[in-house]
Amino acid sequence: MGQIECGRFLNGDNLRFHCCFTAGHDWEVVTGLEEFMSQTACRSDDERQVFVWNFPFDITFKSTNPFGWPQVILSVYGTDFFGNTVIMGYTACHVPITPGKYTRRLTTFVPESASTVQKLLSWLTGRRPEFLDPKLIAQGRGREVTRVRSQGEVTITFNVMMKDFTKFGYDCGATGKTPYLAVQPQPQRSVTVPSEGQSEA
Amino acid sequence: MVSFSPPPSFQVKKSVWTLMAEVHIIGQLSGTSGFPCASLFCKWSLQLGGGWKVVEGVSEGQTQADQSDTGNTSTWCHPIDLHLSTRGIQGWPRLLLQVYRQDDLGRVDLCGYGVTHVPTRPGHHTLVCHTWRPVGTFGEEVRRAFLGGGPQLLSTEFIHSSLERYRLHTIAAGLVHLELGIILRNFEKYGVIY
Repeated sequence: MGQIECGRFLNGDNLRFHCCFTAGHDWEVVTGLEEFMSQTACRSDDERQVFVWNFPFDITFKSTNPFGWPQVILSVYGTDFFGNTVIMGYTACHVPITPGKYTRRLTTFVPESASTVQKLLSWLTGRRPEFLDPKLIAQGRGREVTRVRSQGEVTITFNVMMKDFTKFGYDCGATGKTPYLAVQPQPQRSVTVPSEGQSEA
Repeated sequence: MVSFSPPPSFQVKKSVWTLMAEVHIIGQLSGTSGFPCASLFCKWSLQLGGGWKVVEGVSEGQTQADQSDTGNTSTWCHPIDLHLSTRGIQGWPRLLLQVYRQDDLGRVDLCGYGVTHVPTRPGHHTLVCHTWRPVGTFGEEVRRAFLGGGPQLLSTEFIHSSLERYRLHTIAAGLVHLELGIILRNFEKYGVIY
């Protein structure tokens, strides 16, 4: 669980994001939303010039294998100078592998056109290059042919809890203890009532 | 919340599962800083000892080429997800990094080489890998500054091997930033302390 707190972008206004969680074949979503869309946020009037979404998310996964650990993928959209809705940035990161609270600042990037003429045309018409499937960012394959330009950043806060992870021999470096296992149940002691004249000692 | 249930073959092949120690590397190549050029990409590969095996995942790849608007840093966010198994700790995995720049005409030029060991403790790690590149003669450096194309290594063995490094004359390049999460399994059964 956590929140997508805020974003910082030099250009653009009225930003909203589309967020989705992706994981490997051995993973399954137990509860929570896998994909969602945020509200439209305006740039703040103060000197911070920040876009605040403060968007909460709560999702539970189940798995048989750490391979394919869940990733969160963000696609941020906004309006440019001409009022067209364009892509402002993509970013992705793995959900932290250790229980606890984490704040991640992720730099976003946009795909770039191959030639200068295409860049000028896309700037004028508002049809910027976009990924057909944002889940490409969560994969390592097929990215060698893409050219991107990094701009802007998004801040996400994660709170991660795990259940039964260490039972199967995995060690993720977690130092916390499960509270209910820390206290061993006390064995029942028989109560003897001292008869008259005897002490309990 | 993440909850685990035993894998389907756990009960049947319990003896085989408990013999092998396993390492999961889950993270990303974040980006670079300190390189004096833009539009950088990285070719990365995992180098393992003889007793190691890649069970799941891709052990090499190439990131996108990022033209940065934010000063002399680049961002790749290239995910790495690997499941390795081993019978020993010799030949602990290393990541070999080769950073190249791509200009508007599509020409590719070397920017730096680097190698970093995968961390041995479980948990989240932020790594910084210093990179270097071979230096040529004065004439070659001048040509590289104007036309590109300086000396490059013929074989990647020089990047990770300690034996032949004494032959090289190199200069520092920028930094590559990685964020890696390490999960270990069954190492305590081998008596390994980490």
